[in-house]
Amino acid sequence: MDRTFIEIGHQNLQKNGHEVCGDVFMSRKLQEEGRTIGVLSDGLGSGIKANILATMTASMALNFTIANQPVERSAQSIRETLPVDSERKINYASFTIADVEYDGETTILEYGNPQFLIFRGNKIMNRETMKTHNTEKIAVSNFMAQKEDRIILFSDGVSQSGIGRADMPFGWEIEDLKEFISDHLSNHPHMSAQKLARHIVNRAHMNDTFSAQDDISCSVIYFRKPRNLLVCSGPPYKKEKDATMAQTIKSFNGTKIICGGTTAQIISRELGCAIDADLSSNDLELPPVSYMNGVDLVTEGILTIGKVSEWLESMNPGGIDNQNAAGQIIHHLLAHDKITFLVGTRINEAHQDPSLPVELEIRRNVIKKIAHLLEEKYLKEVHIQFI
Amino acid sequence: MNPNHIYQVRICTGTLCHVMGGALLPELKPYLPEYLKGKVQVKGMTCADYCKQEDRKPPYVLVDDHLIESASIEKVIAYIKKCENHDSKQ
Repeated sequence: MDRTFIEIGHQNLQKNGHEVCGDVFMSRKLQEEGRTIGVLSDGLGSGIKANILATMTASMALNFTIANQPVERSAQSIRETLPVDSERKINYASFTIADVEYDGETTILEYGNPQFLIFRGNKIMNRETMKTHNTEKIAVSNFMAQKEDRIILFSDGVSQSGIGRADMPFGWEIEDLKEFISDHLSNHPHMSAQKLARHIVNRAHMNDTFSAQDDISCSVIYFRKPRNLLVCSGPPYKKEKDATMAQTIKSFNGTKIICGGTTAQIISRELGCAIDADLSSNDLELPPVSYMNGVDLVTEGILTIGKVSEWLESMNPGGIDNQNAAGQIIHHLLAHDKITFLVGTRINEAHQDPSLPVELEIRRNVIKKIAHLLEEKYLKEVHIQFI
Repeated sequence: MNPNHIYQVRICTGTLCHVMGGALLPELKPYLPEYLKGKVQVKGMTCADYCKQEDRKPPYVLVDDHLIESASIEKVIAYIKKCENHDSKQ
């Protein structure tokens, strides 16, 4: 059967003049249960204090939800734990929790944040059709999600962006926001969750004339057909396996990337496809990308994947605009759901020369690290196959 | 050699060549003397295993079929100049 993949994208932007964002999003995939949980929390005020409130709230809400605690008890625990603001003498952080079961059954708990939106394709779904009830001032909604649904959570920084401007005195009104999203989805029906979240945040930032008046954040949960990506890196340990590797690439259904000059040569020889190196993408840090018929991207090996690993570890995934080889690989990694690494384990002896100006890592280890990051931080389904 | 000959410069974009200075080579064109501009085409190539030889000296550049080791922009231009002079003497 055609499985549904749940993609989660999040983007945030701190209030102008602050170092950190007072909105926090956390998510977790529970592989065994097939559950996906996302929490967006908006801490009182902005800056570091708000960030701490929101981080505490989000992590408590996430863990209580994982443990299937009743809503009332979770809410009470959160309330009793949050520190009291020294100026306002109150403690407060709003939150929205989305809890998605393996079959698409979704429960959303809302407290204080603007109401979430659901789009089925490019059409907004009416909340009246959902079962909703209130406990402890928390609105609980239940519905069955289908393929091509998107759940959109956002903080009041989005809905109140532009407030006070002559043309939008009440901020970004919900009807206009819905229309904005609907237009985007009509033009780009397969837009990734990350991209949609980024577009919404950027627009809110623009509404605030590029000086955010509050923390702005948006999270998108997108139910979609899984997108497959094959990353092939390294020559096979035994030469006899060269043909197997080439056939795996040829017959793979999805996007294909080759990382490694020697690997590319092997595939080129086995499949009889020429490689065309494009010097225009050269920069001092990384060698340029190449192209081969039937393969979506060909890059150099260890330096490029080392950079990919470094960026995946550090960056805000929406924030890269670098078009060098590593930037292009990251773009592909984030845009796909199921990622298979086909890793040849032959060691390149020339790379072990101690007189080299840089240390070249062993490919197998770097790929393992990337796979781990993709699973834990970006919630991708990852498989590694050594050859 | 044909006076309209276009020199095909192919720069190895492999890992070893890149870290040993090959990263600078794609910037070759602006350094060409006036009379050679338009006579040189610069391309990349994936690792052709020159670095696997016993006595390896990356980065590698191929000018037509001539292999230049420990290549630098100066070295590549000097070689092309030498070819040109050699031609004009004939």
